[in-house]
Amino acid sequence: MNSERVLSVRGLHKQFVLHNIDGRTVEALHGVDLDVFAGEHVALAGSSGAGKSSLLRCIYRTYLPTSGSVTLRVTSGMDVDLTDLGDRELARLRGRELGYVSQFLRAEPRRGALDIVARAGVQRGMDWDDAREAAAIALRKLNIDESLWDVYATVLSGGEKQRVNLAAGTISPPQLLLLDEPVSALDPANREAALDLIADLTEHGVAVLAVFHDLDAMARLATRVVLMSDGQIAQQGPPETVLGQLTGVAR
Amino acid sequence: MSDVTDQDKGPDPAAELAIDDWVLKVDRLGKVFGPQDPAAIADTGPEFGTSKSPTTGSVVAAWDVSFEVAAGEAIGVIGESGSGKSTVMRSIAGDHGSSAGSVYLRRSDGTVEDILTLDGASRRKLRIDQLSVVYQDPSEGLDLGVTAGGNVAERLTAAGWRHFGQIRERASELLSRTEVPLERMDDIVRQFSGGMRQRVQLAKALANRPPVVLFDEPTTGLDASVAAGVLDLIRNLLEELGLAAVVVSHDFSVIEMLTSRCVVMHHGRIVEHGLTDQLLEDPRHPYSQRLVAAART
Repeated sequence: MNSERVLSVRGLHKQFVLHNIDGRTVEALHGVDLDVFAGEHVALAGSSGAGKSSLLRCIYRTYLPTSGSVTLRVTSGMDVDLTDLGDRELARLRGRELGYVSQFLRAEPRRGALDIVARAGVQRGMDWDDAREAAAIALRKLNIDESLWDVYATVLSGGEKQRVNLAAGTISPPQLLLLDEPVSALDPANREAALDLIADLTEHGVAVLAVFHDLDAMARLATRVVLMSDGQIAQQGPPETVLGQLTGVAR
Repeated sequence: MSDVTDQDKGPDPAAELAIDDWVLKVDRLGKVFGPQDPAAIADTGPEFGTSKSPTTGSVVAAWDVSFEVAAGEAIGVIGESGSGKSTVMRSIAGDHGSSAGSVYLRRSDGTVEDILTLDGASRRKLRIDQLSVVYQDPSEGLDLGVTAGGNVAERLTAAGWRHFGQIRERASELLSRTEVPLERMDDIVRQFSGGMRQRVQLAKALANRPPVVLFDEPTTGLDASVAAGVLDLIRNLLEELGLAAVVVSHDFSVIEMLTSRCVVMHHGRIVEHGLTDQLLEDPRHPYSQRLVAAART
């Protein structure tokens, strides 16, 4: 495994101040330290409200961290702190250097599945022909029937949309990919295909930081499991160790 | 004719991190209606809950507004009626004078100038092929008594096009790109529906390939399905032409679809700026939080 550190999170705090609800504050993260290396698949585990999604969002800066640092090593080898990067600079790094795949396809009116996926490839620097070819391969892998490729994605089923979203997020993948429940709406067969596609990313050296609600997916994909509790990292280690304890607790 | 479709697609992130490639740079722009007394600045703004000065009676419609936008990028300006967003747009466009600040434009030939210092004639020239505006009300951007083709042709002749056949060809190319059926090219715009008028306005705005386009509530007032089509068209045009765009709207769905960054305005001031998804998911200013909460209900 390539051992280059791609992501380094230090002392990350996130506090929300709800000005319109009597100014109360909500603590989402209380000092998170985490490294992710190239070719690693780090699964975030923990009950809901533990801060898993908040961590992903703070790294992508959909949430603006309150304090701490999120350092990304970009492909040129430079280390960049995303927490204080300018908006324009961050907008450009996104996609090409770090990607975020949520459980929902962002509304793309009047666009077909193949177009959406290929466009994502073009945004990461592929030319249109290569992007279309790669998009077709990804959609085929994810069992999206070819008859649906040019149908507006807004009319696809929830599971189809989720697979289109995953294909778009993983085409010509950036070196760090954040996955937030990317297979939550899929039936067993399609879920298998999606998990295979995610496993391929790790094979190809992409650093993955993921949230899955089920332990099976974690056990299958993770090279390391990080257990979160109350906005902090409670424990981390090899999947067999951490997940073993989790299932023990569940029993 | 200048060509603005060349976008920097260089993959070198080191070079990308030091960004100084803006096309439009708004620097501490201000517009005060009424007495130009500096005292008005001190007692207006979000913390005073008003843009009208109790001491001078003037209205500080916009103050200390700064942002920049590069080719291939759209920035949103969001806020309620009276927040100053349209004032900012009209100041940039030169529809009215400004009280303070600068608006730098990098022309397609690379030269930079503060367009607020231009005289009326140079201003009008600028609007022909460097900076276009798409207004909410099509009658501001179009002559409703003239045909669709005639409206586009007017902008082309202003830029020096003389050959009738070429003008006609370019106009039909533009109108078909903005999805106006060519059989309607010779119809008077007043006979067009609202959505179709916006498409003609787009064709006219883009006629001479301006590097900068300002959109003022481009879909407000249209039926939802028509608005979605116009919005989709604008998004595709922004992508294809590599324009530097400023999108002014009170509607988060418009801002979300078209822009990657935005600023929130309230009582004439920018109260928050950020990436569009961050402003929607994690607004920090009390006013932004109220706006987002209102949009979600």
